[in-house]
Amino acid sequence: MFTSSLRVIKFAWQDFFRNFWLSFVTLTILVLALFLVNLLIIFNVVANNAIGSIEDKVDINVYFKSEISEEQVQNVQRYLESLMQVKEVNYVSKDQALANFQEKHKDEPKILESLAEIDKNPLGASLIVKAKTTNDYPVILENLSDTQYDNLIESKDFEDYRQVIERITGITKRVNTAVIIIALIFTLISILIIFNAIRMAIYTHREEIVAMKLVGATNWFVRAPFLLQGVIFGIISIILTIMIVYPLLGFIQPYVNLLLENNFNLIFYFNAHFVLIFGLELLGAIIINLLSSYWAVDRYLRV
Amino acid sequence: MIHFKKVTKIFHPKTVALKDVNLHIKPKEFISIVGQSGAGKSTLIKLLTASEKPDKGQIILGGWEITDIKEREVPILRRQIGVVYQDFKLLPKKTVFENVAFAMEVCGVSNRRINQVIPQVLKIVGLKEKADRYPHQLSGGEIQRAAIARALIHRPKILLADEPTGNLDSLNTKDIIDLLLKINEFGTTVVLVTHNKDVVNRIKKRVIVLDSGQIISDQEEGRYLL
Repeated sequence: MFTSSLRVIKFAWQDFFRNFWLSFVTLTILVLALFLVNLLIIFNVVANNAIGSIEDKVDINVYFKSEISEEQVQNVQRYLESLMQVKEVNYVSKDQALANFQEKHKDEPKILESLAEIDKNPLGASLIVKAKTTNDYPVILENLSDTQYDNLIESKDFEDYRQVIERITGITKRVNTAVIIIALIFTLISILIIFNAIRMAIYTHREEIVAMKLVGATNWFVRAPFLLQGVIFGIISIILTIMIVYPLLGFIQPYVNLLLENNFNLIFYFNAHFVLIFGLELLGAIIINLLSSYWAVDRYLRV
Repeated sequence: MIHFKKVTKIFHPKTVALKDVNLHIKPKEFISIVGQSGAGKSTLIKLLTASEKPDKGQIILGGWEITDIKEREVPILRRQIGVVYQDFKLLPKKTVFENVAFAMEVCGVSNRRINQVIPQVLKIVGLKEKADRYPHQLSGGEIQRAAIARALIHRPKILLADEPTGNLDSLNTKDIIDLLLKINEFGTTVVLVTHNKDVVNRIKKRVIVLDSGQIISDQEEGRYLL
């Protein structure tokens, strides 16, 4: 068994190098298929980040009546922070609200004059609420309306944002659906390309497979070197893919910077998810290679 | 050595390749099987190598009934008989040495034994100096010698030769037939399937003539009758 296993390894390597051009073509096709998958990952990550950075800009303001005390507002803040849909809540005091208002309208003297005439701060404190996802805003506001705090609130500006949020949510859903569909198509294409490449490689060996069987080789002894080669193809193709993908990431990073404002770095992302991305691709490539080799060889074993 | 008892082989839907064939080949015999294309000669070889199974009848080879041979027993059978084909069936990306070695490697023979036996066999077939050549670097006759070396490597009791000279010129044909006769002299039963009238007439051994799947003639020291 040990001798046979060593021979299988020897045959797999020997065949890999002695059929160099066939190995080269098969590897090229595998690398192209894996490259396609990585392009999709890059697209998906950038698209999600673009949506995320837009979503990040969305928040809602809860304005309190001017007579409401700071302590009452902080109670509401604690309540909101306890909700699982809430990402963060920022408190804007009455004074801060006034300062913000003055800053915003500093070039409009008429407004500032009317404010001075009132002689006291007419603005109430407010809370700026950020939800974890845009879908959560209606839920948060509904929760807030159902509580004792509702009568402390002067207004919520959610209605102003509703349309924007709904559009963003719509775009997010459409992009996610598109990504899933594209992912399925890309994956299917990649599987078919790899399957066909392996089948073609083994097709060229069909007469050898017959010859091996006729001199008394068992099915296992014929099949094993091809299966091992499938694993070798998988490992080499993933290494080559990594060597192509990283320079590509460096190349497209400036364009990503133009698109996103959140300093998102593709290389950092790929580094952080290296094992997950390339590990799964390697596993996928090896499984497809093994299955295609198994089926392709099987056809010619019936001698 | 080889017994065919009322063997019938039909290729679906209704091509009768062999019909009620009775044949007994004795140990150490040299037998030529002749017949036109489609007469059933190659089917006979395929039945003996278990590439096909008979639809009716019984095939016994060296006391082993292979009529309903199990899939996992086929490699064991093939390691005990040597087969030489018209198209050689050598592995193109392996050298002569590696091709012959392959037949031993499939049985788990040690490298030491392989290195010991192969030079001897290559010497018998006259290819000792060309052990490192690839098939495409050899002439037709040399390729067939390599195939014969591979067939002989297990010292089989039976050597089946399916049109071994079909792709060779007359000079190489003579060499290969002389080699087969020499192998037969060493005690191996040789079954030669051929089209070649001159070859059969020169050998002056038993000749069986097949026609439409049936034996129409079986003569000791026979001649090519068709």
